[in-house]
Amino acid sequence: MNEPLVLLIIGIIALLILVLVFYPHKGILAIWKKSNYASKKVLIEDALKYLYNCEYNNTTCSLNGIAGNLSVSADDATDIISRLESMGLVSAKKDELSLTSDGRSYALRIIRVHRLWEKYLADETSVTEHEWHQKAEELEHTLTPEQADQLAAQIGNPVFDPHGDPIPSASGDLPIKKGRLLNEMKAGEFANIIHVEDEPNAIYSQILAQGLYPGMQIRMMEVSDKRIKFIANGEECILSPLIAKNITVGVLKFEKQIEGKFKTLSSLKIGEEGTILGIAKALRGQQRRRLMDLGIVPGTKIEAELESLTGDPVAYRVRGTTVALRKQQTEKIYLTNDEKNSYE
Amino acid sequence: MNDNIKRESILAVANNLRWEVGDNLHDTLMESIYENATSIASKVVLYPDKKPAFSLDRTLDKILTSKYLGFPIMFLILAVVFWLTIQGANIPSGLIANLLVDTLHPALKNMANSIGFPWWLSGVLIDGAYLSMAWVISVMLPPMAIFFPIYTLLEDFGYLPRVAFNMDPLYKKVGAHGRQALTMAMGFGCNAAGVVATRVIDSPRERLIAIITNNFSLCNGRWPTQILIATIFIGGAAPAYLAGIVSAAAVVFIAVLGIVFSLLVSWGLSRTLLKGEASAFSLELPPYRPPRILQTLYTSLISRTIFVLWRAIVFAVPAGMVIWLVANINIDGVSVANHFINWSNPFAFIFGLNGIILLAYIIAIPANEIVIPTVLMLTVAKLGMMSVGAGSGVMFELDSVTDTAAILQAGGWTLLTGINLMLFSLLHNPCSTTIFTIYKETKSVKWTVISTLLPIAMGFTITFFVTQIWRLIF
Repeated sequence: MNEPLVLLIIGIIALLILVLVFYPHKGILAIWKKSNYASKKVLIEDALKYLYNCEYNNTTCSLNGIAGNLSVSADDATDIISRLESMGLVSAKKDELSLTSDGRSYALRIIRVHRLWEKYLADETSVTEHEWHQKAEELEHTLTPEQADQLAAQIGNPVFDPHGDPIPSASGDLPIKKGRLLNEMKAGEFANIIHVEDEPNAIYSQILAQGLYPGMQIRMMEVSDKRIKFIANGEECILSPLIAKNITVGVLKFEKQIEGKFKTLSSLKIGEEGTILGIAKALRGQQRRRLMDLGIVPGTKIEAELESLTGDPVAYRVRGTTVALRKQQTEKIYLTNDEKNSYE
Repeated sequence: MNDNIKRESILAVANNLRWEVGDNLHDTLMESIYENATSIASKVVLYPDKKPAFSLDRTLDKILTSKYLGFPIMFLILAVVFWLTIQGANIPSGLIANLLVDTLHPALKNMANSIGFPWWLSGVLIDGAYLSMAWVISVMLPPMAIFFPIYTLLEDFGYLPRVAFNMDPLYKKVGAHGRQALTMAMGFGCNAAGVVATRVIDSPRERLIAIITNNFSLCNGRWPTQILIATIFIGGAAPAYLAGIVSAAAVVFIAVLGIVFSLLVSWGLSRTLLKGEASAFSLELPPYRPPRILQTLYTSLISRTIFVLWRAIVFAVPAGMVIWLVANINIDGVSVANHFINWSNPFAFIFGLNGIILLAYIIAIPANEIVIPTVLMLTVAKLGMMSVGAGSGVMFELDSVTDTAAILQAGGWTLLTGINLMLFSLLHNPCSTTIFTIYKETKSVKWTVISTLLPIAMGFTITFFVTQIWRLIF
């Protein structure tokens, strides 16, 4: 038993097994958790949500659509629908499925919890934007309405989720859908991104890869059937119309239109001074509050004072104190432009 | 009734307005408050010309964070602080030990005997509780009373934030905060104090990382163990003229290994367990100012030294009783300690340790300082060496390294045991004072359990593989 070689092999095998079980996302434990998650209740609630979204977007909803959305077979989808019908949540006339008022308020409750979770994950945790939706999908089925209200109160009763979707109020109210699609803008127009569709994942990842998020200022440059070219917060972006359709733009209140190029705090060289224009929406929650607490708000003078060995972090002098900030933050803090150059 | 309808309609309008104004409202409000405040302040506040002091700050900053001087200055200061602590603590430590252990302990014992205490009562109270408390005070107090004030003075002067600034690029790579360099340095003094020091990290995720990894800083209580074992086993294996250098290098290697582990574990934690915790970076660089020496001495003595010492004593007293009891309670004519040692020996053998070491690490959990005295006591009791030591259940240490080596070698220790003990001393659960402090600071059983079990799991894994590979080769 005490043969070192035997023990060594046993030890290595034990380590491998541990890795196999606990490996994030791909380990046995993670897979087991995933497979456990699609219970009957979850499927029913997801179907209701899908039906509600069809209604909200004024599209018709088919059985196949449900099956595809929930990734179940058509037979299972039929099963779910007949269950929903017997519960009085859905009415099926001919081929058309529609929600009853009970079904609608049930769906709104789930959507409320889903969007509250997304907001919570975005503001109060470091979960990345790739995972907000998926995590909220798992969490949305676990809260009672009372707990949802508590969660809402804890994060300041938000009205929009981080994708720009309105969060239904506790009584189930939602505003009328606003804005227009990105590809409906005309060249030269200003607008802000107010909504980014988070499904399907393949399109959402492309939007994320371009660094686009709600709150960004858009200046349209070129719209054609082949491509949509625009400036988003000073960066040039090109999207295909298929993807642009998943972005909604509108006019935000209290927004200053910026003609020229966006200048970032990270572009300041040591000894240079600038004036803060604002903090990008991509810095949220605690990070944003901390920066604002330090006095990094529009109009504040800021000077780059000291560089660390690798050039990151850099210490800035702001309101009489010296604060070191990392590049990932200073890239998202904008400065006013002294020279008024525009893109034309 | 009419009022009610009115109220409802006003509320409905207000709710609709919330959709209209959107998410920007709070930010805009705050910005306009700042804007107003700035415009008022610029009209009514006068700034006396402070340029000279300010530029002195800049010059100092340029030197202390410069490319070529920044790190050498930092390592130099660190080395001086450690040298002062270790050298400076020797004399007072000896004095206190002389008073509390060598003089007061026998005196108390005699007094108890003359009053007519039964042997077991004086054993539990004086050999157990009192002696372990005395031990903890004499080994712990002097280094802490030197290290903490120096640390606080550097902090007060404004140098430590610059260290954090210099080190931040490295810590950023592993997903941590530059200030973790400071809490880690504090951990070299005492892990419990290091855990408390993580309060300076204001970002929740980075703070948890710093708390969990603080135990990888080889604390004050573990240095003497490392030095003793390295001198006996590693120095002993080298040729005589190299013994000193080799054993010193071994200790430094263990300390550096601890730093490497703390960085690796930080990296792992920030990508797995702590991935989702909130994070917000900012690092203030306050102006330099002459340290207030008296105030610093007072606060560092009260807030750090006494605080840590008190917690250590509170845990050391009951542990001392347990240590005495396991060595003196007999079942079937064999002490509880020996039962455990015999039972755990085969298990410990797999990890290249022995049952005595395991038992010592369990019952000496209040303070790493008493691990070696406990090991010696248990070894002597196990072997029945009546000529050394002070009796069953009484911890002791020997002045002579050669005599200590003789006891350990009689207990079956080899070079491998020595190496594994050094590794295990670095990688095992934090002492109970630290565990309790972690709980106090995080208010979470989950993180406390993780910070306790993670290092010990690593310790067993590493000693296991070292042992098997060693036995294959030699």
